[in-house]
Amino acid sequence: MKLWGQMLWGHLSGLRGRQGGIWGWACSTWQSHQPQAGPLSASGLVKHWTAVFEKRGIPEARESSEYIVAHVLGAKTFQSLRPVLWTQPLTAQQLQGIQELCNLRLQRMPVQYILGEWDFQGLTLKMAPPVFIPRPETEELIEWILEEVAQRPQAVGAQGSPLILEVGCGSGAIALSLLSQLPESQVIAVDKKEAAISLTRENAQRLRLQGRIQTILLDVTIEDSWTHLLPWGPMDLIVSNPPYVFHKDMEQLAPEIRSYEDAVALDGGEKGMDIISHILTLAPQLLKASGSIFLEVDPRHPELVSSWLQSRPDLCLGLVAVRKDFCGRPRFLHVQRFVP
Amino acid sequence: MPLMSTWGWFRSPELLARICTKTQGFGLQEKLALLSPGMAAFMVQIAGKKDFPALLPLNENELEEQSVKGHGPGGQATNKTNNCVVLKHVPSGIVVKCHQTRSVNQNRKLARKILQEKVDVFYNGEKSAVYKERQEAQKKKQERKKRAKETLEKKKVLKELWESSKNVSEERTADSDRMYCTAYKE
Repeated sequence: MKLWGQMLWGHLSGLRGRQGGIWGWACSTWQSHQPQAGPLSASGLVKHWTAVFEKRGIPEARESSEYIVAHVLGAKTFQSLRPVLWTQPLTAQQLQGIQELCNLRLQRMPVQYILGEWDFQGLTLKMAPPVFIPRPETEELIEWILEEVAQRPQAVGAQGSPLILEVGCGSGAIALSLLSQLPESQVIAVDKKEAAISLTRENAQRLRLQGRIQTILLDVTIEDSWTHLLPWGPMDLIVSNPPYVFHKDMEQLAPEIRSYEDAVALDGGEKGMDIISHILTLAPQLLKASGSIFLEVDPRHPELVSSWLQSRPDLCLGLVAVRKDFCGRPRFLHVQRFVP
Repeated sequence: MPLMSTWGWFRSPELLARICTKTQGFGLQEKLALLSPGMAAFMVQIAGKKDFPALLPLNENELEEQSVKGHGPGGQATNKTNNCVVLKHVPSGIVVKCHQTRSVNQNRKLARKILQEKVDVFYNGEKSAVYKERQEAQKKKQERKKRAKETLEKKKVLKELWESSKNVSEERTADSDRMYCTAYKE
């Protein structure tokens, strides 16, 4: 990998060309520390804060300073800034803004909370502690669901308008990205925390999707709580990124996660299966015949879920597929209800 | 059409197992066909000239991606913000680095789009649709620049004439006007 990394620089230099636009920008991060950029330019500030973060042991030092500086300059990423802005001196106001945000990073606050927003599947969502920050892997769960829905339109509601239940909606990432890419769909989004319900509602409104989402404060682990969902009728799909961290792994988590994100959104109990098993138990009561459940899980779960389902033949659920994430780890499960 | 096969889809590294059989549709246009460059160039030629000629599709098996890989347990247990995607097309050696958005998924899609365009130019050279579009855009830009320059020159000349005519006495105003008009017509 390292060898072709060095060759890569040669290729990029040769192919960059004089055109602006996305071609030039895509290859231009290498230029972010030009010698002619003064210390009070965007590039200079990134360089400065990267060094500060590194000295203080802050992970992702360069990425963090790039995101913060870009954000203050009104862009999502440093690379997407117009290159001319990299070298211009910043205003006093901008400098102060960067200072304040970088101080938060020095306290190990996650970048997403510092910026107060993050991107997911083409949507920009508001982020606020302690509501769980969407992970990049979960974007692939959306991709998989969209592929499945496209392939089997007959299995997702009359006139191809799936009714989807999301358990543990958090910031609304999963619910809203499905709504935005399945224009006929409707979502019931539940979470046991008021902060999450509130944030999902706010994001829905920002994205003008509030008309197709129902948010409900609900703890699915409480006995029979799922009966509250019956009035909305049987669902085509149940999706979830449930808390799946093994309890003993919780203390290994980085300070960014431990100190700022809600532990309840992460801790899945001894084998990370507590909430997963509750979702699978309530599924047959809420799903249509041949309805599907899509879950994000820990890589150790495919086997655990498989044996758990075998121990519960009464549920009439089968694990039909396992999908890997972009790191090559088994990360997503497709469980289907079958009619015996 | 035999050119679009579902090979690429079957060999997709993401799908680990399918336990029950399902009908495999052709629905996924993004899924990649196995095409040799020669075959692909032919495809470009036969595609209609009126609409967008198809770009050479990328074969996922010929790509190497270096994104947020292998750092820590991943998933909920990790919070990584490094969403930069580096994508290499192995047969040509072309590499694209994309960090346009904060969504790794979007960056992966963009990187593939950019890489597809670059690979197309690489194999098709001047015949590539991308190259042609770029040439046209550049030509238009140059024409606009030329016209803007000409307009600027004219304005400059007029201004100079106007300045000089102010200094001349009133009796000679008629002459200046004639001069003004002549210069303008030119």
